Amino acid sequence: MVEYGEEKKLRGTVPSFALIVFYAFSAVLLCAALGVILVRNTVHAALLLVLAFVASAGVWMLLFAEFLAIVLVLVYVGAVMVLFLFVLMMLDANLESLRSGRGRFLSAAVALLVAAQIAAALNRDSFLQLPRFEAPAEAAGDNTRLLGSVVYTEYAYPFELAAVLLLVAMVAAVALSLRRRKDVKYTDPAVQMRASPAGRVRLVDMPSEKPPQTATVETNKTTEKRKGEKQ
Amino acid sequence: MVSHSLIVSAPMAPLAGALAAGLLGARLGRAFAHWCAILSVGWAFVASVLIAREVVGEGVVFNFDWYVWARAGGVSLSAGFLVDNLTAMMMLVVTFVSLMVHIYTVGYMAEDPGYCRFFSYIALFTFAMLMLVMANNFLQLFFGWEAVGLVSYLLIGFWFKKASATYANLKAFLVNRVGDLGFLLGVGLVLAAFGSLDYAEVFAAAPGVGALASLPAGWDAATVICLLLFVGAMGKSAQFPLHVWLPDSMEGPTPISALIHAATMVTAGIFMVARMSPLFELSETALSVVLMVGALTAFFMGLLGLVQNDIKRVVAYSTLSQLGYMTAALGASAYSAAIFHLFTHAFFKALLFLAAGSVIIAMHHEQNMAKMGGLRKKMPVTYWTALAGSLALAGLPPFAGFYSKDVIIEAVGASLAPGANVAYWALTAGAFVTALYTTRLLMLAFHGEGRMDDHTREHIKESPLTVTVPLVLLAIPSVLIGAVTVAPMLAGGFFDGAIVVGEGRDTVAMALEKMGGASWSGMAAHAIYSPVFYLALAGVAAGVWLYSGYPLRTEMFARGPIYRALLAKYGFDDFNDWFFAGGARRLAAVLWRRVDAAVIDNFFVNGAARLVAMSSRAARKVQTGAIYHYAFSMLCAVALVLAWRLWLR
Amino acid sequence: MGGAGFQVGYAGAEMFVFLAACAVLLGDLFLPAERRGAVLHWGAIGACVLTAGIAWTGFGGGGFDGEPAIALNGFFVSSPFTALMKTAVMLSVGGSLLFSRRYLEGAGMLCGEYYALALTSSLGMLVMVSAAHLLPLYIGLELMSLSLYALIALDRDNLRASESAIKYFVLGALASGLFLYGASIIYGATGELGIAEIAARIISGGGEARAALGLGLVFMLAGVAFKIGAAPFHMWLPDVYQGAPAPVTLFIAAAPKIAAMVMMLRVLVEALGVLESDWRPMLIILAVASLAVGNITAIVQTNIKRMLAYSAIAHSGFIVLGVLAGDDAGVAAAVFYVIAYALMTVGGFGAVALLAGEGKERAELSDIKGLAANNGVAAAVLMVLMFSMAGIPPVVGFAAKLSVLQAVLAAGLPWLAVVAVLLSVVGAFYYLRVVKLMYFDLPEKGAVALPVLPRGAQASLAAVGALVLLLGIFPGKLLAACETAARLL
Repeated sequence: MVEYGEEKKLRGTVPSFALIVFYAFSAVLLCAALGVILVRNTVHAALLLVLAFVASAGVWMLLFAEFLAIVLVLVYVGAVMVLFLFVLMMLDANLESLRSGRGRFLSAAVALLVAAQIAAALNRDSFLQLPRFEAPAEAAGDNTRLLGSVVYTEYAYPFELAAVLLLVAMVAAVALSLRRRKDVKYTDPAVQMRASPAGRVRLVDMPSEKPPQTATVETNKTTEKRKGEKQ
Repeated sequence: MVSHSLIVSAPMAPLAGALAAGLLGARLGRAFAHWCAILSVGWAFVASVLIAREVVGEGVVFNFDWYVWARAGGVSLSAGFLVDNLTAMMMLVVTFVSLMVHIYTVGYMAEDPGYCRFFSYIALFTFAMLMLVMANNFLQLFFGWEAVGLVSYLLIGFWFKKASATYANLKAFLVNRVGDLGFLLGVGLVLAAFGSLDYAEVFAAAPGVGALASLPAGWDAATVICLLLFVGAMGKSAQFPLHVWLPDSMEGPTPISALIHAATMVTAGIFMVARMSPLFELSETALSVVLMVGALTAFFMGLLGLVQNDIKRVVAYSTLSQLGYMTAALGASAYSAAIFHLFTHAFFKALLFLAAGSVIIAMHHEQNMAKMGGLRKKMPVTYWTALAGSLALAGLPPFAGFYSKDVIIEAVGASLAPGANVAYWALTAGAFVTALYTTRLLMLAFHGEGRMDDHTREHIKESPLTVTVPLVLLAIPSVLIGAVTVAPMLAGGFFDGAIVVGEGRDTVAMALEKMGGASWSGMAAHAIYSPVFYLALAGVAAGVWLYSGYPLRTEMFARGPIYRALLAKYGFDDFNDWFFAGGARRLAAVLWRRVDAAVIDNFFVNGAARLVAMSSRAARKVQTGAIYHYAFSMLCAVALVLAWRLWLR
Repeated sequence: MGGAGFQVGYAGAEMFVFLAACAVLLGDLFLPAERRGAVLHWGAIGACVLTAGIAWTGFGGGGFDGEPAIALNGFFVSSPFTALMKTAVMLSVGGSLLFSRRYLEGAGMLCGEYYALALTSSLGMLVMVSAAHLLPLYIGLELMSLSLYALIALDRDNLRASESAIKYFVLGALASGLFLYGASIIYGATGELGIAEIAARIISGGGEARAALGLGLVFMLAGVAFKIGAAPFHMWLPDVYQGAPAPVTLFIAAAPKIAAMVMMLRVLVEALGVLESDWRPMLIILAVASLAVGNITAIVQTNIKRMLAYSAIAHSGFIVLGVLAGDDAGVAAAVFYVIAYALMTVGGFGAVALLAGEGKERAELSDIKGLAANNGVAAAVLMVLMFSMAGIPPVVGFAAKLSVLQAVLAAGLPWLAVVAVLLSVVGAFYYLRVVKLMYFDLPEKGAVALPVLPRGAQASLAAVGALVLLLGIFPGKLLAACETAARLL
């Protein structure tokens, strides 16, 4: 392993192996990220996003943040993006229409402008002279253990909040997706099983009435007659 | 021990009563409305008595802020109460007369469809007037000032279907605007000069005030403040030349004329100047102006009373004249005499109005005295009480008006202020005029032959108890109150602390010395040596002679220029109508066509509206409803801000 | 400030509202169907009021009268400010729920999830209010927003609602992205995420990394401006307000604004207070743009909800004005304004939600023509609210506008105050038009009159109206509380 301090000493003289790897990963990351927003095929875009995740996992690895790197690959690449691909393929979304017209040049121009502005702003501070903050010494050894020890102690409050956030996401997802569609004939077996004659037939005791003398009776008769004819 | 909450309850109870009577009266009935109003005002009266006993009896002064409404620029705007002897006396007058008027109204307004509304208004008036007299700062004084003006406006136009009533209330409102503007400017200058609106702080700092940066160089701040405040008093207390609204205000129901336009509201200006005595004492100029305005009003308005035929208008002009006496007293630094006259006047003038009202009921709302006469036999209670009131007004000893008016005349005589001698002669002559028109009223209405038509004659009868009981209750103080209270109120240092009189200006003391001390019998006896007494007697005698037979002996004057000038009220109304109202209309027409319609409406208002409408339609087009446009606009905004930060700063 | 131990008691309100959300979810399962609606409704409202009480009294630590303290390992701040804002949040959530039942029942949306999501959303707001660190600030923001997205989309068969949920979600995600990007740049420049620590680090670092800090500031501000609905980040607002079911619009419009304002204060005034000269011009742009766009565009709207959405943009302009003054007076004015705004919104959209009927949207301006004739109370309350929103004395909106303008003047920006007043005058037009429609116009021929509100609904509306009036005449107590809160953020 290359010690952090050593890498620092090497900077600016001979490009170390770590530096070469860093630039390689960064280049892949940037290209992949640009690709995500530029390619026309949405599945390709999603796959490029996977590539971007992997590349940034590599950068994290260089920073000795191995736990985060692995989690990024496992959770985002392994679970989230796979799910995302499923959805994309199911929806078969066509984003062609959004990418046409004069708007795209203007958008690209504004994007470039913002990028240039960020670069200019950082340059004004002369980027390499920005204040540098050392990672805690103990982080160099066992990053995972250290994370585990602070997440449940020092960072307990944000951690719990994140848990609540996930719970809310779950509740929201269920609330939005679980619904009774009005156009589906739906039967509940439990209700069918519990059916009893008492709940179905109602016997009504009615006093006898004089035969009504309205047209409805006659029409009834005529329909009966027709029935008879058919038979 | 009187608690703060008792003091607060005195004005608040009538407010609650007014709200209850006004909002629920229509639903819960007339009896509910008048009981609400009467009980609440009754409570205010009881509270006033309790407070007065403590304040007057034990010399306690209450001064506290009750609710701080807001603070702006270091000035506290609050509702607070200052209760000293002056306030306690005013509270007693206001609540007592108000209570009497409430009771009287039950009988007087019995037939009126606006019964509940009326009770709501007069209870509201009591609240407003109490807030005015109990204020411990200029803001609350102004609040009460405007609130009584509002209720006065509402009540003058109470019969708002009558064109003359709406004309009269508009006139009252507009004329009072002039006064109130001056008053507001005065309050503003007080704030500018002292940085506070609290009485105590202002009065404490008053002697030190000199020139003021916001005034032109060479102007004395105290003089300007006092003159502006006095403009307010001229409006409210109907002093020349802002007096024109008061006679017209008689379009309102008679109980209102008694309560608002005789006993209480119109005396707010007198009260205010007395309250501000620490300021007025700083400016001899202002005092002289006050003195002259008062004396002129007292004499010339009294003359107008001689030619009026409307019974209420006669009383109204007498009110103007008496207010002039009070104002003149203020100008002579005889504040306590002014307040004393205010005090006695409240009783006998309310009495006279209510008696006039009683006559008007009996005459089926006929107010023209030319059609009255001979009512003495048919309405004995009204007659005798009116007689008591008239004698008090005429200033004959030992009736209440004598004590207060004679002191005023003597005090003005003793004053060394510029113009005091002119004022003294005007006031002395006024005594004759007062006696003359008072006698004329009595003679025309109650004596002689009845000149009404037969139908009316048959129906004349004494008014019901709700009318006569207040008459009798007011007649008692009209006769006695002057004799009883003259010594303690004028000589006993009653107003020490509330009223400040400058060195060598204590004209009341000088007057009393001249009149042989402040004992009621001594003063009555001294009257024999004073010209005022003989002038008043002469007035009565002339009145009896002139107006005893019909046709009147005054017919010989009827064609003379003086008579016509008096009938035209010296032309003030015509001048105001032509110059102010007409001129304003002509100016407004020019401004309307040339400035408003052409420039403001067409260019600014409609132009701005067109601009807004145009940009509004344009802005709506931006809102396309497409997410990517929205996201794009957000990014553009970020880019623009970044660009501005990076390259344009 | 107290120690930075764990001291979980300070988070009593948060814990209680979370437990209430869980209880609502469980209650939805086990309550008998015929009583479920009423129990959930009143239970949730009761929980809101109780939470407000806990936040105000500081049950277990903190509270309005308590000492300011940092708890939960430095992630959580408790102070009079947080107590006041939490109380305001929970009371406006409770008020929003109060007015929503009639509509929900009609639309078949009265279910446990609605109330549970409303409560978790308010949990998110409480977390934002008490965040002493960018991490809980961001998670709270997401917790609030996620619940709101779901709330809007809850009525799956309502196409417009689904559309606005998607819009809100996508644009909200973009805004969150901008905010996070800015936060990461700030982290890169200071190495800190705690709000007080960032401020301390910027001071101790002297002028280092100013450009990077400014960059982070712009991005964070963009995210915050989106949440508060300030132009030019306002585009989502009219579409979402109009498309969402009326009770949800009511919900989104009121309480989240309070949380967003707190977020703005925390990020700009507290964390990046040193950079005031950087963010003040940006806020001036935001404020003027919001006032102009909101007031001017509202004039041509024909839908009440959309009109009120533009009015909300204009109001956010006023809130930004208070924040940009930056000092205690400005913060107090912004706090007072946002509370007054939440109150007016609860009443305004509450009336709309009630009048919108039972599940059917009746929110065109033409629908309220002649409303005074058959719905006197609703019309009167709407009138008071319109006066208040326009800033006409003596209602609370006037006091709020006045205090903001005073703060702006004190900050030495008289021209800005003039612009704000002029644009408010433009705004008065459409507020007063509502009054004119209700009182002076006759219903259109053939139009079905809006339903007469039941007594209970009238009473609750009248209570809001009375409160608006009362706070307008006697704003002293609330103003004093806001000043205390502004001193002890």
